[in-house]
Amino acid sequence: MKEETSKFSVRDLALYGLLIAIMEVSKHALDFLPNVELISLLVILYTLHLGKRTLFLTLGFTLLEIFYWGPHTWVIMYLYVWPFLVFLTLQMKKHRDEKYDFLQFAVLSGLFGLFFGAMCSLVYLVIGGPRTALSWWVAGIPYDLIHAGANFVICLILFRPLDKLMGKVKWR
Amino acid sequence: MKKKTWIWVCVLVVLVALFALIYHFAKPKAQAGSKAITLTVVDDAGDEKVYNLKTDEEYLYDALKPVIDKGDLTIDAEESAYGLYIKGVNGLTADYDKDGAYWAIYVNGEYGQFGIESQPVADGDAYKLVYEKY
Repeated sequence: MKEETSKFSVRDLALYGLLIAIMEVSKHALDFLPNVELISLLVILYTLHLGKRTLFLTLGFTLLEIFYWGPHTWVIMYLYVWPFLVFLTLQMKKHRDEKYDFLQFAVLSGLFGLFFGAMCSLVYLVIGGPRTALSWWVAGIPYDLIHAGANFVICLILFRPLDKLMGKVKWR
Repeated sequence: MKKKTWIWVCVLVVLVALFALIYHFAKPKAQAGSKAITLTVVDDAGDEKVYNLKTDEEYLYDALKPVIDKGDLTIDAEESAYGLYIKGVNGLTADYDKDGAYWAIYVNGEYGQFGIESQPVADGDAYKLVYEKY
């Protein structure tokens, strides 16, 4: 009789739970600063080390956020913006330059922060139409600028040490 | 590869500048001069209190200050990283942590995109402060 094998081992589940917990804790730790977050950097790093499996982590993180804050409209945004960052990271991984990777991913993280509001406004495009989406995006541009700057600097400083640290972990 | 990476850094800088320019030109402008506006406060029972105001101020909170100073309107707000956060209006406190309640700002029937202190005031505008629960 053929033995059934699960795609995820118990070790995987424990590890993913821990990685999601790191995302959640880092988010709450920086909640007092508008649009300054470590999630973008963590998603980039997780994707570099875990590949497509990071999609499960972004989904787990989104579910935790729903449990904590309730099902708001931004939950819909989270369902596509974080997987989109996973996709972008996987594309950039193919062109990774070992010498300047910290700068490459800092630019990716910065651009992601800059377009975060624009990406999220797509929900309002569906709910309220182009005028609502546009005014929502414009009103949030100052926060997108902060998001871009913070993401760029955070990634520039923390990418290398965290990437090195994660490189020491046996993921599978 | 080094050159390509630096080009992307330049792209990021240019886009940041472009976004700042878009905001500068597209954000709702505060209107100078005398303006007539109305503020409607809707409490938890749905009861409305309407204030008709004339103001030269350019932002909503400043426009409301004379009414607040007279004691006809009370706004309990606290500074947050996102601007002034309205906790209570006319003695009615909204506690989001307790029951998901909050004070929402509506501008001419549409959900407001700005905080009370950064909401530009235009002649004829109708504002609403509504006690809502999520």
